[in-house]
Amino acid sequence: MVEVPKLAEEISELRHSALNHLWMHNRDWVKTGEAGGPDIVVDGNGINVTDIDGKTWIDVNGGYSSVNSGYGRKEIADAARAQMEQMQYFPQGTTTAPLVKLAEKIASLAPGDLQRSWPVSGGSEANETALKIAKSYHKRLGNNGRYKIISRKGSYHGATGGVMWLGGGGSSRSDYEPAVPGMVYAPQPNRYRCEFDGQTDEECAILCAEAVESLILFHGPETIAAFIAEPVSASSLAAVPGNPYWPMIRDICDKYGILLIADEVITGFGRTGKMFALEHWGIVPDIMTVAKGITSSYLPLAATVSTNRISDVFAGEQNLFRQALTFGGHPVCAASALANIEIIESEKLVNNAASTGLYLMNKLKELREKHPIIGDVRGLGLLLGLELVKNRDTKENFTPESGMSNRLNQEFRSNGLILFATDKGVSLSPPLCINPSEVDVIIEGIHKSLSNVEKEFSIV
Amino acid sequence: MVLTNEGEQLRRKSLEFLWMQNRDWVSMAEEGDPLIIEGGKGLRVTDSQGNSWIDVNGGYNSVNIGYGRTEIASAAYDQMVRMPYFPQSTTTVPTIQLAKKLAEITPGDLSRSFPVSGGSEANETALKIARAYHRRRNDNKRYKVVSRKGSYHGTTGGVLWLGSNPASPRGDFEPEYPGMLYGPQPNSYRCELGGTTPSECAYRCAKAIEQLILDNDPDTIAALIAEPIAVPLGSPVPGEEYWPMLRDICDRYGIVLIADEVICGFGRTGKMFASEHWGVVPDIMTVAKGIISSYLPLAATVVSERIASQFAGEENYLRHVFTSSGHPVSAAAALKNIEIIEKENLVDNAARVGEYFKNQLMELKENHKIIGDVRGLGLLLSIELVSDRRTKMGFPKELKVAERLNQKFRENGLIFRVGSEILNIGPPLCITTSEVDEIVSVLDRSLGELSTEVHLK
Repeated sequence: MVEVPKLAEEISELRHSALNHLWMHNRDWVKTGEAGGPDIVVDGNGINVTDIDGKTWIDVNGGYSSVNSGYGRKEIADAARAQMEQMQYFPQGTTTAPLVKLAEKIASLAPGDLQRSWPVSGGSEANETALKIAKSYHKRLGNNGRYKIISRKGSYHGATGGVMWLGGGGSSRSDYEPAVPGMVYAPQPNRYRCEFDGQTDEECAILCAEAVESLILFHGPETIAAFIAEPVSASSLAAVPGNPYWPMIRDICDKYGILLIADEVITGFGRTGKMFALEHWGIVPDIMTVAKGITSSYLPLAATVSTNRISDVFAGEQNLFRQALTFGGHPVCAASALANIEIIESEKLVNNAASTGLYLMNKLKELREKHPIIGDVRGLGLLLGLELVKNRDTKENFTPESGMSNRLNQEFRSNGLILFATDKGVSLSPPLCINPSEVDVIIEGIHKSLSNVEKEFSIV
Repeated sequence: MVLTNEGEQLRRKSLEFLWMQNRDWVSMAEEGDPLIIEGGKGLRVTDSQGNSWIDVNGGYNSVNIGYGRTEIASAAYDQMVRMPYFPQSTTTVPTIQLAKKLAEITPGDLSRSFPVSGGSEANETALKIARAYHRRRNDNKRYKVVSRKGSYHGTTGGVLWLGSNPASPRGDFEPEYPGMLYGPQPNSYRCELGGTTPSECAYRCAKAIEQLILDNDPDTIAALIAEPIAVPLGSPVPGEEYWPMLRDICDRYGIVLIADEVICGFGRTGKMFASEHWGVVPDIMTVAKGIISSYLPLAATVVSERIASQFAGEENYLRHVFTSSGHPVSAAAALKNIEIIEKENLVDNAARVGEYFKNQLMELKENHKIIGDVRGLGLLLSIELVSDRRTKMGFPKELKVAERLNQKFRENGLIFRVGSEILNIGPPLCITTSEVDEIVSVLDRSLGELSTEVHLK
């Protein structure tokens, strides 16, 4: 058992080890050292986590939008232990009981005829697998020219060599150039900043979907393998497309023989108030990727789920889809996923995401009345975004030089909130077990934080 | 077969709902596959019909401590009950302790770990660090990556283009990633450059990499990535000269040397890390599989301070995130796994039993002309089959050598699936000499039968 140190000097030594030996996310070790070393969390329950110094935090970020069933679920640990004691691991080619049960469960939950799961260990791997299936699918049918992938500016689909080039924009990946060939970028249907000046959700949605069709015609439909998109893009601060968008995209993909890949890594397993977000629009993609909420991150697991129309092309020994991952379909992770999905279903967390999400959304809209720094409030279920602006009329964002986000993050910290601001805004995605009184505490913390920042930055 | 049997139901459902690796559901159905594996101990696993199997492949060369170690389940459980997960923008106690442990046991100044969830992610991370490292130093032209034919580094969008394996073509996934350069594999049994001894082949292959670098403008090359011993084409152990030469070449041209120890690491070759056999310290080392014996998904990219220091300071941080990075439950399991490897001297056992195993295979070679070569180090061993030792030719496809062998191994209780005429052996490191004898006796019988069937005496 890994003991949690209690003495101050032991804790300090542990922090020292982290600064010397661990490469963490989004920050460097010098800066983290200057800030007193990393936060070390040791305990969790519901939406709360406790750090090594005994301070309790509210995780409004929900562990990168992944801990859907909340912290402290002993049932998942019991399931993982039971499976690990019985059968720790075996590579695919043979299989294990929990994995088969999980694949069956996914097929029963997923919309339409999405039926066959390729299990992997994370969202990046799931999206890489989806792209590889899409490219291979067309080659199997003799459509050898189809290799380009359309994604949307401001979207995010992962960090590995292929998918890191999807979505995005700006300089976030210039360190890793050159990009893989065949990336085509479409507009993000974000009404607040519609590229085509669409004034309503509907108008922006139609213009953005039409733009996808134009791109396809420009590049030549016979060169395009797939269109990939999140139903609601978390990295665009939860921009919810207007209702015409998804049905139009489905039609356009069908019209030109392009595979539609829905990245439900964040939105899946209840996050938006439906089990999968595309259900809001009654759309069935050809391939759907899931991760995060499928295990609530209690262990690493993800999956690429395909319709039979796609997977049938790979049946027969000569048509094998050539890919192997050591940890793909891990039985202990699968057992944890099953226990997690059982919690989501038996505690009706999807319904709670819808109702408490609406409550949170309304509270955020009330905050917008009080805080001119909030330009836009958007989202669906418990995937919500606040866009922050210097000036509501010009919609001008803050710059990194302004230091606004650093200050706001300090405020969130001092209010006990794990919640991250960038200069563009703030995403909220707490565990789905959150209740309205917990929402009220979060809203109070955000209110105080914004008030102080507005004062300092003279936002009126 | 009883249709109401739970195992049979699971089998049928797996064919309906699961997309499995290396096999398709139609041919699996025809062969009565897949096996449903239900339990395991040491190097044996049990299926849902109650059959016991010996796992010669050690779960893709990964289950270093063997099956059935309940200590790891306890460690994982304790951690999951307390703190199941948190993203790596904060951290957790076991993640820090694992990073510290890796710094202690990896060679030289490898000291900072970016934890991830699998070998592909670890190698992708290594490539990104290498490219970004040069940019941080304003060496902006460097982006190409040198790998070797016959190597394997993973399956995601970047690393899938490294190395090559004729048995696993990747034309389905074209176009390839820009900047891929391919050097020769230092395999003295089939040296591309005509080297006849391991030393000669090693020297020529290393020189060829230098020439490849010179031909492609050294200032445009970011990294060289290689496994100390590459598995896909049968674990050729490079001659002594090879790795020190690669280290020198990388230093001479300012190229980051990445050692992929995903398979070799954590004792597989009889040293904790295979780079130690030649006293070479890479700039970046990737580890996976044996770090946790696959009890849970975990891998890491371990970086020397010289490389990592370029990313210190607020403006220099590496822009790279995975949700499951540094997973505390996986980290706790890995710590327990490493403790078992150390306490039970499994690295020494890999060296000792590996040597015994190799000697037994060399004896088999005396008796079976079909064996062209036996090679490997520690418990990473390979047999290459040939139809003619002089020409080193393989077999015509219609003889279905791999299929015949797979069937024989299966009938004899071995989980040992071969895809070609190369038999890769990588059992758990806790294997005993009497278990080696059991495996060798099945190999002996199977190869004897195969030789008769294909008229090779």
